[in-house]
Amino acid sequence: MARKDLLDIASLQREEIELLLDQSTAFKKLLTSSGKKVPVLEGKSVLMLFYEPSTRTHSSFEVAAKRLSAEVTNFNVAHSSITKGESVRETVETLQAMRTDYLIVRHSRSGLPGLIARQTKAAVINAGDGAHEHPTQALLDAFTIKEKFSDPRGKKVLIIGDVLHSRVARSTSTLLQKLGVEVAFLGPGSLVPKYGPATICRFTNYQQAMAWAPDVVYLLRVQMERQDVQFFPSLREYHRIYGITNTRLEEIRQRGLYIMHPGPVNRGVELCDAVMDYERSLINNQAENGIAVRMAVLDWLTPGGDLPKPEPAYATRYGAASTLVMT
Amino acid sequence: MLLLQNTRIASENSPVLVEGDVLIVEGIIQQIGNNLAIPEGARVIDARGRILMPAMFDAHVHFRAPGFENKETITTGSEAAINGGVTGVVMMPNTRPAIDSAAVVSTVLESAKRKSRIPVYTSGCVTKDREGKELAEIDGMRLLGVTMLTDDGDTTGDPAVLLRAMQYATEFGMFFASHCEVPELAGPRALNEGVMSYRLGIKGSPACAEEIIIDRDIRLAHAAGAHVHIQHVSSKLGMETIRWWKSRGDVKVTAEVAPHHLMFTDEHIGDYDTNYKMNPPLRTQADCDALLAGLIEGVFDLIATDHAPHTPFEKSQDFISAPNGITGLDTALVSLHHYFVRPGKFGWDLVVKRYSAEPRRLMGLPVAAIEVGQKAECLLFDTEAETTFTREFMKSKSQNTPFLDQTLQGRVDLVILGTEILLER
Repeated sequence: MARKDLLDIASLQREEIELLLDQSTAFKKLLTSSGKKVPVLEGKSVLMLFYEPSTRTHSSFEVAAKRLSAEVTNFNVAHSSITKGESVRETVETLQAMRTDYLIVRHSRSGLPGLIARQTKAAVINAGDGAHEHPTQALLDAFTIKEKFSDPRGKKVLIIGDVLHSRVARSTSTLLQKLGVEVAFLGPGSLVPKYGPATICRFTNYQQAMAWAPDVVYLLRVQMERQDVQFFPSLREYHRIYGITNTRLEEIRQRGLYIMHPGPVNRGVELCDAVMDYERSLINNQAENGIAVRMAVLDWLTPGGDLPKPEPAYATRYGAASTLVMT
Repeated sequence: MLLLQNTRIASENSPVLVEGDVLIVEGIIQQIGNNLAIPEGARVIDARGRILMPAMFDAHVHFRAPGFENKETITTGSEAAINGGVTGVVMMPNTRPAIDSAAVVSTVLESAKRKSRIPVYTSGCVTKDREGKELAEIDGMRLLGVTMLTDDGDTTGDPAVLLRAMQYATEFGMFFASHCEVPELAGPRALNEGVMSYRLGIKGSPACAEEIIIDRDIRLAHAAGAHVHIQHVSSKLGMETIRWWKSRGDVKVTAEVAPHHLMFTDEHIGDYDTNYKMNPPLRTQADCDALLAGLIEGVFDLIATDHAPHTPFEKSQDFISAPNGITGLDTALVSLHHYFVRPGKFGWDLVVKRYSAEPRRLMGLPVAAIEVGQKAECLLFDTEAETTFTREFMKSKSQNTPFLDQTLQGRVDLVILGTEILLER
C-alpha cells in the first residue's frame, strides 16, 4: 500500500515498520560505504516547515533529503506571514501553489501536520507535533535498538521522564510495542499519567523500575519550555530522584544496560556528565541513524494523487462505533 | 382552521400515545377526539402514524448577536430552532458587547421581535462583561423580563462575587445558571483528561474541574437561598453531585444535560475532529451511561442543546485553535429520537417533559400541551421518515455538527405556533 504521509506511528502496520527499518539498513550501508548522493529524489522538492525551533531533527532531515538529491527549501517561519496572522491553511495553500513534493512539518499544535496533509497533495512528514507524535524519532530509536539486539522481541525498554509532554515517549513506546518490545515508564507521578496506555507498566520509584530488569534505559528530555506550570519542585530534586547520577550509572554499567536519549540533553538533570562517555551510551548512534532512517522514509512515501477529502467522513470512521454506543 | 386526522398525541404525563384527531381553530386547540367532523373550510392533514407533540423549548442557545453575526444571527438561529421543532429559546449572554445591561437586553429583544418568528428570550450576565469582577446592573434587565443570570462560557470565578450576586438578585426573583469549570484545572482546551488526551497529546480537562464548581455553586445557592441551574453537565460525578443535593431538598437546584453528552464520547474525536469539540468536553462511555440514567431518573430537569455555532473557517483549524461548541437546534429532536426513543431507552413523555415542558417552567412560561383550550404550539413528527442533515437542510448559519451529512431516523414535518404554520414538509 502506497502511503502519502507519515503522520504517526499509531496507524503504521508492523510490516511497514519492518520494511522501513530494512530500508534504513540499506541506506546506512550506502552512507558509510560511499557517502555520495543517490538520485532517488532527483528533481523533487522538499520543503521544511518548522514552526518550532529545532537543530537536530531539522538538519537530519535536510541532510537526508540532500543525500537523496532532492531540492531542499527552508520555509523561514520566523520571517513569514504566519507571524503576521496568516493562518496555517492559507500558508499551505501558498505552498501547494509552489508544487512541493514533500513537506516536513514541525509544530507545537498536536494534530497540525495531519490537518495540513489533508489539504495538500504533497507527502507530509510529521517532524514532531506538540505532545502527539514524532514518528521518525521512534523509527530511528527502534533502528538503533535493532542494531544492538537483532531480535528485539521480549527486550525491555524503560522510558524515564516527562511522559505527559513527550511526543517521543508516545511514538517510541508505540513503535517498540509493535515490535514486541516491552515498555515501562518511570517518572514523577505528575508527569506519568495514570490514564496512559494500560499495556505500559508505570513506575514512579527508580528502584522498582530497575527491579523490572530493563535492557535499555531511555531518558526523555525534561522540557522546561513546555511546563507552563510546575510539575516537580526543582531540577535538583528531579535529578536526585529520576536522573542518572554517578552512582546509578555504576549500577547501569554493572548490569550492562544501554542508555538512549533523543537529545539535546540537559546535563545535571536527566543525566550526569559521565553518561556522555559511557561505553554503552547510544546517544550518538541515534543521531547518526536519524539520517538513514529519514532517507528511508522520504524514499518510501508517495506524494500526489487526488486531494483527499478535507475531513474524513463520520460514517466511515465511526459508523460502527456509533451503533455500538447506542445499542 | 386545521384538522389533524388520526394522529398520535404525546404528552409529558404518559408514555402512551393517544390516537385521535385534533382540531385547531384560530390558533387554539378546540377539539380532540376520534372521527371528528370536518368543519367547513378546514384544512385537513392526514397525520396517520405521525406523532403530535408540544413544540420544544431550548433554554440554552448561542445566537451570537450582537457581535458575532458571522457565526449566527437571531434570524438564522431562530430558523434553525423552527427547523428542529423548537418554538422558544433562551439566548446566552456571551456576545460582544455582552448582554450585561438593560441597554443591550433591550437591543437584543427588539431585534428578536423583528427578526424571529418564535419568541426569543435572553439571559443576562451576572457580572459586567462576564469578567467575574463587578456585578452587572441587574434590575434594569429584570424589568425587561430577564430572569436567568449567567456568565455562561465561563464560570464566575470568584465565589464571593457570585455569593453576593445570589444574595442580591434572589430578592428580585431571579435565578442563576452556572457554566461549571475551575479554569486553573480545566486549562484552555476542551478535551477530557484521559486515554484520549494522552493519545492526542493535548492537555486534558479533568472531570473534577467541572464537578468542583457544580458543588461550589450549589453550596453558594444553599447559603444564599438562591435557585441555581447547572448547565450542560458532562460527568458521572457531576450528575451524582446534583442528585445528592436534590435528595437533601434544602436548596433549589435544577440541571440540564445536552444531547451530545448523552450520545458521544471523547473517542469520537478520533483524528482531531473539531465537530466533537465543546466545553464541557465529551467524556467516557461511563459518563454517557450515567447521564442517561440521570435523565431518566429526573436528576436532569431539562435537555438543552448549548447550540454553539462557529464558522467553517474557525472549525477548520487545528483542534487546539478551533473554538468550543457545536450546533444543536436543527438536529436535537431527531437525534434524541434516533438514539433513544427509537431503541426504547426512553419514551416521548420524557422528551416532551424535558425538552418542552420543564424548560418553559424554568423560565416561568406557560407550558405547551395538546389539550382542549390550549394555544396550539405543537409539532408533527414522522418516526418512519429519515432526515439527512445536509448543509442545505440546516438553517443555522454554521454547520459545525457531528451530524453534518448524516442520515438519522425521524423527521419534523410540521411546526405550528398559534395561527401560524412555521414549518411544513
